[in-house]
Amino acid sequence: MSSETGSNKLKAKDFITVGIFTAIILVVEFACGMLGYIHPFIVASYVIMIPLVGAIPMMLFYTKVQKFGMITIMSILIAIMMFVLGMGFLGAPLIIIAGVIADLIAKSGKYKSFKKTMLSYGVFCLWICANYFPVIVTAESYRQDLIDEGYSAEYCNNLFLAINYKTIGILLILCFVFGCLGALIGKAVVKKHFEKAGIV
Amino acid sequence: MKLDPRTKFYMILIVSAVVMLSATTPFLWGLKIAMTLIPIILLIIEKKYTSAFGFAFLYIAALVLTFAFLSEESTGLFKSLLIGYSGIVVQFLPCFITAWYVIRTTKIDEFMSAMQKMKVPDGIAISLAVVMRFFPTIKEEYASISDAMKMRGIALGGGNAAKMIEYRMIPLLFSCVNIGDELSAAAITRGLGGKVKRTSVAELRLRLVDWLLITAFTAVAVIFVVYKYFL
Repeated sequence: MSSETGSNKLKAKDFITVGIFTAIILVVEFACGMLGYIHPFIVASYVIMIPLVGAIPMMLFYTKVQKFGMITIMSILIAIMMFVLGMGFLGAPLIIIAGVIADLIAKSGKYKSFKKTMLSYGVFCLWICANYFPVIVTAESYRQDLIDEGYSAEYCNNLFLAINYKTIGILLILCFVFGCLGALIGKAVVKKHFEKAGIV
Repeated sequence: MKLDPRTKFYMILIVSAVVMLSATTPFLWGLKIAMTLIPIILLIIEKKYTSAFGFAFLYIAALVLTFAFLSEESTGLFKSLLIGYSGIVVQFLPCFITAWYVIRTTKIDEFMSAMQKMKVPDGIAISLAVVMRFFPTIKEEYASISDAMKMRGIALGGGNAAKMIEYRMIPLLFSCVNIGDELSAAAITRGLGGKVKRTSVAELRLRLVDWLLITAFTAVAVIFVVYKYFL
Protein backbone atom coordinates (compact mmCIF):
# COMPACT_ATOMS: atom_id res chain seq x y z
CA MET A 1 0.00 0.00 0.00
CA SER A 2 2.93 2.33 0.65
CA SER A 3 3.20 3.30 -3.00
CA GLU A 4 -0.47 4.31 -3.04
CA THR A 5 -0.53 6.58 -0.02
CA GLY A 6 0.34 9.52 -2.23
CA SER A 7 -3.10 9.71 -3.76
CA ASN A 8 -6.17 10.18 -1.60
CA LYS A 9 -8.64 8.57 -3.96
CA LEU A 10 -10.07 5.25 -3.02
CA LYS A 11 -9.21 2.40 -5.35
CA ALA A 12 -10.98 -0.83 -6.22
CA LYS A 13 -8.79 -2.69 -3.75
CA ASP A 14 -9.96 -0.45 -0.91
CA PHE A 15 -13.61 -1.01 -1.80
CA ILE A 16 -13.04 -4.77 -1.73
CA THR A 17 -11.38 -4.53 1.68
CA VAL A 18 -14.36 -2.55 2.97
CA GLY A 19 -16.76 -5.15 1.58
CA ILE A 20 -14.96 -8.06 3.20
CA PHE A 21 -14.76 -6.52 6.64
CA THR A 22 -18.37 -5.33 6.49
CA ALA A 23 -19.42 -8.91 5.78
CA ILE A 24 -17.43 -10.14 8.79
CA ILE A 25 -18.90 -7.46 11.10
CA LEU A 26 -22.41 -8.36 9.96
CA VAL A 27 -21.76 -12.03 10.68
CA VAL A 28 -20.65 -11.05 14.20
CA GLU A 29 -23.82 -9.01 14.58
CA PHE A 30 -26.05 -11.90 13.46
CA ALA A 31 -24.26 -14.38 15.71
CA CYS A 32 -24.85 -12.13 18.72
CA GLY A 33 -28.37 -11.35 17.49
CA MET A 34 -29.34 -15.02 17.59
CA LEU A 35 -28.52 -15.08 21.31
CA GLY A 36 -30.64 -12.00 21.89
CA TYR A 37 -33.86 -13.71 20.93
CA ILE A 38 -33.70 -15.75 24.13
CA HIS A 39 -34.65 -12.92 26.47
CA PRO A 40 -35.15 -9.15 26.11
CA PHE A 41 -32.37 -8.44 28.60
CA ILE A 42 -29.87 -10.11 26.30
CA VAL A 43 -31.00 -7.74 23.56
CA ALA A 44 -29.77 -4.94 25.80
CA SER A 45 -26.42 -6.66 26.27
CA TYR A 46 -25.61 -6.35 22.54
CA VAL A 47 -23.87 -3.14 23.53
CA ILE A 48 -21.30 -5.24 25.39
CA MET A 49 -20.99 -8.30 23.18
CA ILE A 50 -20.77 -6.79 19.73
CA PRO A 51 -18.11 -4.11 20.49
CA LEU A 52 -15.89 -6.70 22.19
CA VAL A 53 -16.16 -9.45 19.58
CA GLY A 54 -16.27 -7.07 16.63
CA ALA A 55 -13.11 -5.34 17.83
CA ILE A 56 -10.83 -8.07 16.47
CA PRO A 57 -11.83 -7.73 12.80
CA MET A 58 -12.20 -3.95 13.16
CA MET A 59 -8.69 -3.46 14.52
CA LEU A 60 -7.36 -5.48 11.60
CA PHE A 61 -9.50 -3.30 9.33
CA TYR A 62 -8.09 -0.11 10.85
CA THR A 63 -4.56 -1.25 9.97
CA LYS A 64 -5.69 -1.34 6.34
CA VAL A 65 -7.44 2.03 6.35
CA GLN A 66 -5.25 4.76 4.94
CA LYS A 67 -7.69 7.12 3.28
CA PHE A 68 -10.81 9.00 4.18
CA GLY A 69 -14.04 7.32 3.20
CA MET A 70 -13.50 3.66 3.99
CA ILE A 71 -15.19 3.76 7.40
CA THR A 72 -17.96 5.96 5.98
CA ILE A 73 -18.68 3.48 3.21
CA MET A 74 -18.71 0.68 5.75
CA SER A 75 -21.38 2.47 7.77
CA ILE A 76 -23.47 3.07 4.65
CA LEU A 77 -23.24 -0.62 3.79
CA ILE A 78 -24.27 -1.60 7.31
CA ALA A 79 -27.26 0.76 7.07
CA ILE A 80 -28.29 -0.80 3.75
CA MET A 81 -27.97 -4.35 5.06
CA MET A 82 -29.92 -3.51 8.22
CA PHE A 83 -32.73 -2.18 6.06
CA VAL A 84 -32.67 -5.24 3.82
CA LEU A 85 -32.93 -7.51 6.85
CA GLY A 86 -36.01 -5.77 8.18
CA MET A 87 -34.62 -3.44 10.85
CA GLY A 88 -36.11 -0.42 9.15
CA PHE A 89 -34.53 2.87 8.18
CA LEU A 90 -34.98 4.69 11.49
CA GLY A 91 -31.49 3.70 12.59
CA ALA A 92 -29.79 4.60 9.30
CA PRO A 93 -28.97 8.25 10.18
CA LEU A 94 -27.34 7.18 13.45
CA ILE A 95 -25.27 4.50 11.72
CA ILE A 96 -24.04 6.81 8.99
CA ILE A 97 -23.35 9.76 11.31
CA ALA A 98 -21.40 7.46 13.66
CA GLY A 99 -19.45 6.20 10.66
CA VAL A 100 -18.57 9.67 9.35
CA ILE A 101 -17.49 10.94 12.79
CA ALA A 102 -15.43 7.80 13.38
CA ASP A 103 -13.80 8.34 10.02
CA LEU A 104 -13.01 11.99 10.83
CA ILE A 105 -11.49 11.07 14.20
CA ALA A 106 -9.31 8.40 12.65
CA LYS A 107 -8.29 10.83 9.91
CA SER A 108 -7.21 13.41 12.48
CA GLY A 109 -4.72 10.81 13.73
CA LYS A 110 -3.67 10.16 10.11
CA TYR A 111 -4.99 6.59 10.58
CA LYS A 112 -1.81 5.80 12.54
CA SER A 113 -2.33 7.01 16.11
CA PHE A 114 -3.72 4.24 18.27
CA LYS A 115 -5.42 6.65 20.69
CA LYS A 116 -7.43 8.14 17.84
CA THR A 117 -8.20 4.67 16.50
CA MET A 118 -9.55 3.66 19.89
CA LEU A 119 -11.79 6.74 20.10
CA SER A 120 -12.87 6.25 16.53
CA TYR A 121 -13.86 2.63 17.13
CA GLY A 122 -15.75 3.68 20.26
CA VAL A 123 -17.79 6.16 18.23
CA PHE A 124 -18.27 3.67 15.43
CA CYS A 125 -19.77 1.19 17.91
CA LEU A 126 -22.65 3.58 18.53
CA TRP A 127 -24.25 2.13 15.40
CA ILE A 128 -25.27 -0.89 17.47
CA CYS A 129 -27.85 1.29 19.22
CA ALA A 130 -29.59 1.68 15.86
CA ASN A 131 -30.90 -1.83 16.52
CA TYR A 132 -33.01 -0.38 19.31
CA PHE A 133 -34.45 2.55 17.40
CA PRO A 134 -37.73 0.94 16.36
CA VAL A 135 -38.31 0.13 20.03
CA ILE A 136 -37.61 3.64 21.29
CA VAL A 137 -38.80 6.08 18.68
CA THR A 138 -42.18 4.51 18.19
CA ALA A 139 -42.43 3.17 21.75
CA GLU A 140 -46.15 3.76 22.33
CA SER A 141 -47.53 2.47 19.07
CA TYR A 142 -44.91 -0.26 18.83
CA ARG A 143 -45.94 -1.61 22.22
CA GLN A 144 -49.60 -1.63 21.26
CA ASP A 145 -48.72 -3.34 17.99
CA LEU A 146 -46.73 -6.03 19.78
CA ILE A 147 -49.60 -6.79 22.12
CA ASP A 148 -52.10 -6.78 19.24
CA GLU A 149 -49.83 -9.17 17.41
CA GLY A 150 -49.92 -11.61 20.29
CA TYR A 151 -46.74 -10.99 22.24
CA SER A 152 -47.32 -11.55 25.93
CA ALA A 153 -47.58 -8.47 28.06
CA GLU A 154 -44.68 -9.83 30.10
CA TYR A 155 -42.29 -9.94 27.15
CA CYS A 156 -43.23 -6.39 26.22
CA ASN A 157 -42.79 -5.15 29.76
CA ASN A 158 -39.32 -6.65 29.97
CA LEU A 159 -38.37 -5.31 26.57
CA PHE A 160 -39.47 -1.79 27.41
CA LEU A 161 -37.99 -2.00 30.88
CA ALA A 162 -34.57 -2.71 29.40
CA ILE A 163 -34.82 -0.40 26.41
CA ASN A 164 -36.54 2.97 26.52
CA TYR A 165 -35.68 6.59 25.97
CA LYS A 166 -34.28 6.83 29.49
CA THR A 167 -31.88 3.92 29.17
CA ILE A 168 -30.77 4.69 25.62
CA GLY A 169 -28.26 7.21 26.97
CA ILE A 170 -26.73 4.54 29.18
CA LEU A 171 -26.73 2.08 26.29
CA LEU A 172 -24.93 4.61 24.06
CA ILE A 173 -22.30 5.24 26.74
CA LEU A 174 -21.84 1.51 27.28
CA CYS A 175 -21.33 1.07 23.53
CA PHE A 176 -18.62 3.69 23.56
CA VAL A 177 -16.87 2.38 26.70
CA PHE A 178 -16.88 -1.22 25.56
CA GLY A 179 -15.83 -0.09 22.10
CA CYS A 180 -12.71 1.51 23.57
CA LEU A 181 -12.09 -1.53 25.77
CA GLY A 182 -12.62 -3.80 22.80
CA ALA A 183 -10.13 -1.76 20.80
CA LEU A 184 -7.44 -2.51 23.41
CA ILE A 185 -8.20 -6.24 23.28
CA GLY A 186 -8.45 -6.25 19.51
CA LYS A 187 -5.14 -4.42 19.22
CA ALA A 188 -3.46 -7.02 21.46
CA VAL A 189 -4.96 -9.87 19.41
CA VAL A 190 -3.90 -8.31 16.13
CA LYS A 191 -0.39 -7.83 17.49
CA LYS A 192 -0.23 -11.40 18.80
CA HIS A 193 -1.38 -13.10 15.63
CA PHE A 194 -1.14 -10.90 12.57
CA GLU A 195 1.96 -8.80 13.11
CA LYS A 196 4.00 -11.93 13.78
CA ALA A 197 2.65 -13.49 10.63
CA GLY A 198 3.55 -10.40 8.66
CA ILE A 199 0.03 -9.76 7.36
CA VAL A 200 -0.27 -6.27 8.80
CA MET B 1 -36.90 -17.81 -15.37
CA LYS B 2 -34.60 -14.85 -15.20
CA LEU B 3 -35.53 -11.71 -13.36
CA ASP B 4 -33.86 -8.37 -13.75
CA PRO B 5 -31.77 -7.53 -10.66
CA ARG B 6 -33.60 -4.22 -10.43
CA THR B 7 -36.87 -6.10 -9.89
CA LYS B 8 -35.17 -8.06 -7.14
CA PHE B 9 -33.96 -4.89 -5.42
CA TYR B 10 -37.46 -3.51 -5.61
CA MET B 11 -38.78 -6.69 -4.02
CA ILE B 12 -36.34 -6.30 -1.14
CA LEU B 13 -37.31 -2.66 -0.72
CA ILE B 14 -41.03 -3.40 -0.49
CA VAL B 15 -40.72 -6.49 1.70
CA SER B 16 -38.41 -4.70 4.15
CA ALA B 17 -40.76 -1.74 4.32
CA VAL B 18 -43.90 -3.83 4.81
CA VAL B 19 -42.51 -6.07 7.56
CA MET B 20 -41.88 -2.97 9.65
CA LEU B 21 -45.59 -2.22 9.70
CA SER B 22 -47.36 -4.60 12.00
CA ALA B 23 -50.38 -6.50 10.78
CA THR B 24 -53.32 -6.07 13.12
CA THR B 25 -56.29 -7.54 11.24
CA PRO B 26 -56.72 -10.94 9.53
CA PHE B 27 -56.82 -9.23 6.15
CA LEU B 28 -53.45 -7.57 6.72
CA TRP B 29 -52.03 -10.88 7.91
CA GLY B 30 -53.26 -12.50 4.72
CA LEU B 31 -51.57 -9.79 2.70
CA LYS B 32 -48.28 -10.32 4.53
CA ILE B 33 -48.43 -14.06 4.06
CA ALA B 34 -49.25 -13.68 0.36
CA MET B 35 -46.26 -11.37 0.00
CA THR B 36 -44.01 -13.96 1.66
CA LEU B 37 -45.27 -16.67 -0.67
CA ILE B 38 -43.92 -14.89 -3.75
CA PRO B 39 -40.20 -15.33 -2.97
CA ILE B 40 -40.88 -18.91 -1.84
CA ILE B 41 -42.53 -19.68 -5.17
CA LEU B 42 -39.65 -17.99 -6.98
CA LEU B 43 -37.22 -20.21 -5.06
CA ILE B 44 -39.19 -23.28 -6.16
CA ILE B 45 -39.10 -22.11 -9.78
CA GLU B 46 -35.34 -21.76 -9.45
CA LYS B 47 -35.25 -25.41 -8.26
CA LYS B 48 -33.89 -24.52 -4.83
CA TYR B 49 -36.24 -26.99 -3.19
CA THR B 50 -34.42 -27.52 0.11
CA SER B 51 -34.29 -23.86 1.07
CA ALA B 52 -37.79 -23.15 -0.28
CA PHE B 53 -39.45 -25.90 1.74
CA GLY B 54 -37.25 -25.25 4.75
CA PHE B 55 -38.31 -21.60 4.82
CA ALA B 56 -41.95 -22.48 4.15
CA PHE B 57 -41.99 -25.00 6.98
CA LEU B 58 -40.35 -22.59 9.42
CA TYR B 59 -42.73 -19.79 8.49
CA ILE B 60 -45.84 -21.94 8.80
CA ALA B 61 -44.69 -23.41 12.12
CA ALA B 62 -44.06 -19.94 13.53
CA LEU B 63 -47.41 -18.67 12.23
CA VAL B 64 -49.31 -21.60 13.75
CA LEU B 65 -47.55 -21.14 17.09
CA THR B 66 -48.19 -17.41 17.15
CA PHE B 67 -51.87 -17.80 16.35
CA ALA B 68 -52.42 -20.78 18.62
CA PHE B 69 -51.28 -18.76 21.60
CA LEU B 70 -52.59 -15.47 20.33
CA SER B 71 -55.76 -15.25 22.39
CA GLU B 72 -54.39 -16.76 25.56
CA GLU B 73 -52.93 -14.88 28.46
CA SER B 74 -49.46 -16.21 27.97
CA THR B 75 -47.28 -15.76 30.99
CA GLY B 76 -44.51 -17.94 32.31
CA LEU B 77 -41.00 -18.20 30.96
CA PHE B 78 -41.46 -21.02 28.48
CA LYS B 79 -44.54 -19.61 26.84
CA SER B 80 -43.21 -16.10 26.55
CA LEU B 81 -39.99 -17.51 25.10
CA LEU B 82 -41.92 -19.48 22.54
CA ILE B 83 -44.10 -16.52 21.65
CA GLY B 84 -41.06 -14.26 21.45
CA TYR B 85 -39.25 -16.66 19.14
CA SER B 86 -42.08 -17.38 16.77
CA GLY B 87 -43.06 -13.72 16.73
CA ILE B 88 -39.57 -12.78 15.63
CA VAL B 89 -39.50 -15.51 12.98
CA VAL B 90 -42.84 -14.33 11.62
CA GLN B 91 -41.59 -10.76 11.65
CA PHE B 92 -38.21 -11.15 9.98
CA LEU B 93 -38.43 -14.33 7.91
CA PRO B 94 -40.04 -12.62 4.87
CA CYS B 95 -36.95 -10.39 4.63
CA PHE B 96 -34.58 -13.29 5.05
CA ILE B 97 -36.30 -15.34 2.36
CA THR B 98 -36.24 -12.45 -0.11
CA ALA B 99 -32.63 -11.58 0.64
CA TRP B 100 -31.65 -15.25 0.36
CA TYR B 101 -33.41 -15.56 -2.98
CA VAL B 102 -31.70 -12.45 -4.33
CA ILE B 103 -28.24 -13.45 -3.13
CA ARG B 104 -28.58 -16.99 -4.43
CA THR B 105 -29.86 -16.13 -7.89
CA THR B 106 -28.05 -12.91 -8.82
CA LYS B 107 -24.73 -13.24 -10.58
CA ILE B 108 -22.16 -10.64 -9.73
CA ASP B 109 -21.89 -9.30 -13.28
CA GLU B 110 -25.67 -8.79 -13.44
CA PHE B 111 -25.54 -7.11 -10.07
CA MET B 112 -22.79 -4.71 -11.13
CA SER B 113 -24.44 -3.84 -14.39
CA ALA B 114 -27.77 -3.19 -12.63
CA MET B 115 -25.98 -0.96 -10.13
CA GLN B 116 -24.37 0.93 -12.98
CA LYS B 117 -27.74 1.44 -14.64
CA MET B 118 -29.17 2.76 -11.39
CA LYS B 119 -26.26 5.22 -11.18
CA VAL B 120 -25.07 3.94 -7.81
CA PRO B 121 -21.55 5.24 -7.05
CA ASP B 122 -18.84 2.71 -7.91
CA GLY B 123 -17.53 2.54 -4.35
CA ILE B 124 -20.82 1.43 -2.89
CA ALA B 125 -21.60 -0.93 -5.76
CA ILE B 126 -18.25 -2.74 -5.55
CA SER B 127 -18.34 -3.00 -1.75
CA LEU B 128 -21.93 -4.26 -1.77
CA ALA B 129 -21.09 -6.86 -4.41
CA VAL B 130 -18.23 -8.08 -2.24
CA VAL B 131 -20.47 -8.24 0.84
CA MET B 132 -23.01 -10.31 -1.10
CA ARG B 133 -20.41 -12.66 -2.47
CA PHE B 134 -18.69 -13.01 0.87
CA PHE B 135 -21.42 -14.50 3.06
CA PRO B 136 -21.23 -17.94 1.42
CA THR B 137 -17.42 -17.77 1.49
CA ILE B 138 -17.39 -17.04 5.22
CA LYS B 139 -19.74 -19.97 5.78
CA GLU B 140 -17.47 -22.33 3.83
CA GLU B 141 -14.32 -21.16 5.56
CA TYR B 142 -16.00 -21.42 8.92
CA ALA B 143 -17.06 -25.01 8.20
CA SER B 144 -13.47 -25.96 7.32
CA ILE B 145 -12.18 -24.32 10.49
CA SER B 146 -14.73 -26.20 12.59
CA ASP B 147 -13.71 -29.47 10.96
CA ALA B 148 -10.05 -28.84 11.64
CA MET B 149 -10.82 -27.96 15.25
CA LYS B 150 -12.88 -31.10 15.74
CA MET B 151 -10.07 -33.19 14.34
CA ARG B 152 -7.70 -31.76 16.91
CA GLY B 153 -10.25 -32.07 19.69
CA ILE B 154 -10.35 -28.37 20.61
CA ALA B 155 -13.86 -27.68 19.35
CA LEU B 156 -15.01 -26.29 22.70
CA GLY B 157 -11.82 -24.38 23.53
CA GLY B 158 -11.82 -25.82 27.04
CA GLY B 159 -15.09 -24.07 27.84
CA ASN B 160 -13.40 -20.68 27.79
CA ALA B 161 -15.55 -18.18 25.90
CA ALA B 162 -12.65 -15.90 24.91
CA LYS B 163 -10.65 -18.88 23.59
CA MET B 164 -13.67 -20.18 21.70
CA ILE B 165 -13.99 -16.86 19.91
CA GLU B 166 -10.24 -16.50 19.33
CA TYR B 167 -9.83 -20.00 17.88
CA ARG B 168 -12.57 -19.34 15.35
CA MET B 169 -12.08 -15.69 14.56
CA ILE B 170 -8.32 -15.62 13.90
CA PRO B 171 -8.15 -18.36 11.25
CA LEU B 172 -11.28 -16.91 9.66
CA LEU B 173 -9.66 -13.47 9.41
CA PHE B 174 -6.47 -14.98 7.99
CA SER B 175 -8.30 -16.71 5.18
CA CYS B 176 -10.58 -13.73 4.53
CA VAL B 177 -7.61 -11.39 4.13
CA ASN B 178 -5.99 -13.79 1.69
CA ILE B 179 -9.17 -14.27 -0.30
CA GLY B 180 -9.54 -10.49 -0.38
CA ASP B 181 -6.12 -10.09 -1.97
CA GLU B 182 -6.96 -12.68 -4.62
CA LEU B 183 -10.30 -11.01 -5.22
CA SER B 184 -8.72 -7.60 -5.78
CA ALA B 185 -6.22 -9.07 -8.20
CA ALA B 186 -9.03 -10.74 -10.13
CA ALA B 187 -11.16 -7.59 -10.10
CA ILE B 188 -8.37 -5.35 -11.35
CA THR B 189 -7.67 -7.81 -14.15
CA ARG B 190 -11.26 -7.31 -15.25
CA GLY B 191 -10.88 -3.57 -15.34
CA LEU B 192 -12.62 -2.66 -12.13
CA GLY B 193 -11.55 0.75 -10.92
CA GLY B 194 -10.43 1.88 -14.35
CA LYS B 195 -11.31 5.33 -15.61
CA VAL B 196 -13.41 4.28 -18.59
CA LYS B 197 -17.06 3.31 -18.39
CA ARG B 198 -17.30 -0.44 -18.15
CA THR B 199 -19.49 -2.51 -20.42
CA SER B 200 -21.16 -5.71 -19.39
CA VAL B 201 -21.86 -9.06 -21.01
CA ALA B 202 -25.12 -9.31 -19.08
CA GLU B 203 -27.84 -7.55 -21.06
CA LEU B 204 -30.41 -6.14 -18.68
CA ARG B 205 -33.96 -5.63 -19.79
CA LEU B 206 -37.21 -5.39 -17.87
CA ARG B 207 -39.42 -8.17 -19.24
CA LEU B 208 -43.11 -8.84 -18.75
CA VAL B 209 -42.49 -10.95 -15.61
CA ASP B 210 -40.53 -8.09 -14.09
CA TRP B 211 -43.32 -5.61 -14.67
CA LEU B 212 -45.88 -8.07 -13.29
CA LEU B 213 -43.87 -8.56 -10.11
CA ILE B 214 -43.23 -4.86 -9.70
CA THR B 215 -46.96 -4.19 -10.05
CA ALA B 216 -47.82 -6.96 -7.60
CA PHE B 217 -45.42 -5.68 -4.93
CA THR B 218 -46.49 -2.08 -5.38
CA ALA B 219 -50.10 -3.17 -5.00
CA VAL B 220 -49.30 -5.08 -1.80
CA ALA B 221 -47.55 -2.06 -0.29
CA VAL B 222 -50.29 0.40 -1.25
CA ILE B 223 -53.16 -1.82 -0.08
CA PHE B 224 -51.35 -2.53 3.17
CA VAL B 225 -50.80 1.13 3.98
CA VAL B 226 -54.32 2.15 2.94
CA TYR B 227 -56.03 -0.56 4.99
CA LYS B 228 -53.86 -0.02 8.04
CA TYR B 229 -54.00 3.76 8.26
CA PHE B 230 -56.98 5.00 6.29
CA LEU B 231 -59.71 2.43 6.82
